[in-house]
Amino acid sequence: MMKSYSLEDNTIVLDRELTELDLFVKKFLAVLKKHTDYLVVSGFVSISTGRTRGTEDVDIIVPVIDKTRFQELFLDLQENNFWCYQGDTAEEAHPYLEKLTSLRFAEKDKMFPNIELVPFNHTKKAKVFEFNHPQKIRIKDFEFKIPPIEFEILYKELILKGKKDLEDAKHLRTFFSEIIKKEKLEEYKPIIEQE
Amino acid sequence: MKPTTDMDYVELYAKKLKEDKTLFQQQKTLIESQLHSSRTTFSKFGTGDEFKAKAREYLRGTGFLKELVK
Repeated sequence: MMKSYSLEDNTIVLDRELTELDLFVKKFLAVLKKHTDYLVVSGFVSISTGRTRGTEDVDIIVPVIDKTRFQELFLDLQENNFWCYQGDTAEEAHPYLEKLTSLRFAEKDKMFPNIELVPFNHTKKAKVFEFNHPQKIRIKDFEFKIPPIEFEILYKELILKGKKDLEDAKHLRTFFSEIIKKEKLEEYKPIIEQE
Repeated sequence: MKPTTDMDYVELYAKKLKEDKTLFQQQKTLIESQLHSSRTTFSKFGTGDEFKAKAREYLRGTGFLKELVK
């Protein structure tokens, strides 16, 4: 049998080919990273680690950024063939970030998959915590940041709690059973319960 | 363990996947099949500004896209 992942310098390395969904996320992150830090969360964490289910959106949390930086990001995304569901200008879209409301981006002339850009600020304690404790993950030449696996599991079990989320959590608990640390589960639980 | 629930199957698959990376290929096929299917569905919206207008109308109709935040 051939192991599916390994841990190299604290980076989770998955031994698989890139999917079209990976390539879509990779292309978006290549632009986003030039303008702000980020964390890929929720369904894509489970799917990128082998969970067999479909998805139409990829959630990425970002800190709220000011209008000038956002304008640069927005234009860069448009130049790289992404469009925003909520508007064609940064002026139309930025108020969403200020109100901590998600923005959606997809590739030109496509509806799905899309990126759900989820803004947060200092009032969102759990998001601040996961953002400041990223876990690196790599598939071939695609490296990106996700929350600590233990954090992601608990967030799905304690906050989201839907059938799909609980199954995602079970997948992560089982798939990563060798590297999940019980003390981290205990440490993260009260942080997540603040959400 | 004989799986009986969806959760049992999720657990069983994750256990097998952990030890056998060839199962990733099945997952890749499923993900890409879904993407292609969705692409076909919305290709009738045309391209460029026409696509965006029709896509936003569709998204508003489904309640997915709320009015702009003021």
